[in-house]
Amino acid sequence: MPHHKCLQWRFPARSIWVERVETEWHVLSMPERTREHSAFRRAVARSRKPASSEWRHYLHRAGGLMQPSPVLPDRPVVIRPDRALTLLPGQSTVFYLGIPVWFRLNAAGTRLARVFDEPLSVLTRTWFGDPVTGELCWGLATRLHHSLDSVDVSADFAVCPLMVENESDTDLDFQKICIHVENLSVFRGRERLWTNSLHAVFQGPDQVTQIEITHEPPGFEEGLVQVSDARQPAPGWNIRRTFGMLKYFTDF
Amino acid sequence: MFFQQIVNWVHTLSPDVLTKGLRVVVTAALGLLLVRLLAVVTQRYLMRKSTPQRRMVVRKIIGYSGFVLVVLAVLGELGVKLTALLGAAGIVGIAVGFASQTSVSNIISGLFLISEKPFAIGDVLRIGTTTGIIQSIDLLSIKIRTFDNLFVRIPNEKILSSEVTNITRFPIRRMDLVFQVDYGQDLSRVQRVLTEIARDNPWSLDEPDPVILFTDFKESGVEVLLGLWFAKDDFLLMKNSIMTDVTARFEAEGIRFAHPRRVVRPDHPKRPGGAKGGARGEGRASAKRASAKRASRPPLPRGRLPSRSDSARTRRPPR
Repeated sequence: MPHHKCLQWRFPARSIWVERVETEWHVLSMPERTREHSAFRRAVARSRKPASSEWRHYLHRAGGLMQPSPVLPDRPVVIRPDRALTLLPGQSTVFYLGIPVWFRLNAAGTRLARVFDEPLSVLTRTWFGDPVTGELCWGLATRLHHSLDSVDVSADFAVCPLMVENESDTDLDFQKICIHVENLSVFRGRERLWTNSLHAVFQGPDQVTQIEITHEPPGFEEGLVQVSDARQPAPGWNIRRTFGMLKYFTDF
Repeated sequence: MFFQQIVNWVHTLSPDVLTKGLRVVVTAALGLLLVRLLAVVTQRYLMRKSTPQRRMVVRKIIGYSGFVLVVLAVLGELGVKLTALLGAAGIVGIAVGFASQTSVSNIISGLFLISEKPFAIGDVLRIGTTTGIIQSIDLLSIKIRTFDNLFVRIPNEKILSSEVTNITRFPIRRMDLVFQVDYGQDLSRVQRVLTEIARDNPWSLDEPDPVILFTDFKESGVEVLLGLWFAKDDFLLMKNSIMTDVTARFEAEGIRFAHPRRVVRPDHPKRPGGAKGGARGEGRASAKRASAKRASRPPLPRGRLPSRSDSARTRRPPR
């Protein structure tokens, strides 16, 4: 990073400013309101950096490197489709879910230290499950895309391919889908960010839903590079409450 | 000098006494050490995954019962006959039992509380007028630290017989705000604005749905209940932000809160002719003057309530 310069990462809904002053890293996160889906990075003269009391200061050894990377949110994400959708018995489909990513800044050295972790878009808080045993999640109202072409290319979203099979005798209504994104990694493609693929098998409302996580990069694009690990490993992750039904939640 | 005196005194003792004394000291030291070791091993290895509350109870049980056993062993070494002691203890026990009914009641209540587990260390409790964080749950009482940093000890017997609210038992809570909006407000607009406030507040959960209810027609306005769900750790953030949000949005939208007020409409003076005030014509002229005075008075600013002096002026009879 050049001395006497600030770096700005600008995303559709947020700008991150980073500056190095001797052994300190100064970081500022500011909301943005642009309609562009693209993001860019630029160097700005120190005299033009925004004056704010929100600058955060981190001590680090001189000459250390900073590594920015996209990571997935720290809690499960509950996706609410913008229209009612029903998967008929015996059918299967693939959805492409846009998961909002966070901006993480690591300080590289003998040990990678997390400096800064910030959501790039505004997420709402929501609750999945009943008020006693449910879990706190991030809420996201979005469209369940059947085709990759309809998914906007955006710098602050990662595409999560979700294959769903309805092996039950009942309709599967998609009202809410809870994705445990803290167990997923992020991969970088030519234009998009990707997460691991998910494979869900619905066997009926009184049965557990089996979720399988693919540890390899999704096969929708060639040459994907992993840019961040999952926040938490996923042992025994294959059985989870995932689908929110009209009158009940599948539970185990 | 003092040390020399002790050495001289020890030399005067018989070997039997010295041996017995040594055995008593060794028994007491080893016994207490053993009890301490047992408590530590139990805590660190056997109850590693237990709750702090259960660990504390087991530690105290081991400590108290171990101490009693050590005392009995020491008494045995001293040659005290335990049967006679137990017989005497029976008589003393009756007397002590009468005197310690409250303590025994507290202990039994404590055992019930421990087995029922209505709360645990770290929970926020409300008992009567006391609200605070539980510091410890003992056999006789529980200790609470209130939010203004006061130490409160509540006997277990009282807890068992009174209503206890565990505020942090469940992971999410609902915060209810009750207020009144002025009559004449468009209630559907009020509902829309409150829905937007709930949606935009960063600490409010969008699921379960917020509750917006028009609950009653009150004396000064329509009563509204706004119930928002939030994670239990966000209480302060939620409380402050929602109060600020509601006030700011209502101000921006021109929605007025209801305030207590009285509207006084004075009757026109109709007095029989020639009454105390003088001639009928004089009364009418006085009323006209008062009416003209009221009309010439600048209007009250929007939103300002009539003050007491306004009412007094209104009520004043015409001269």
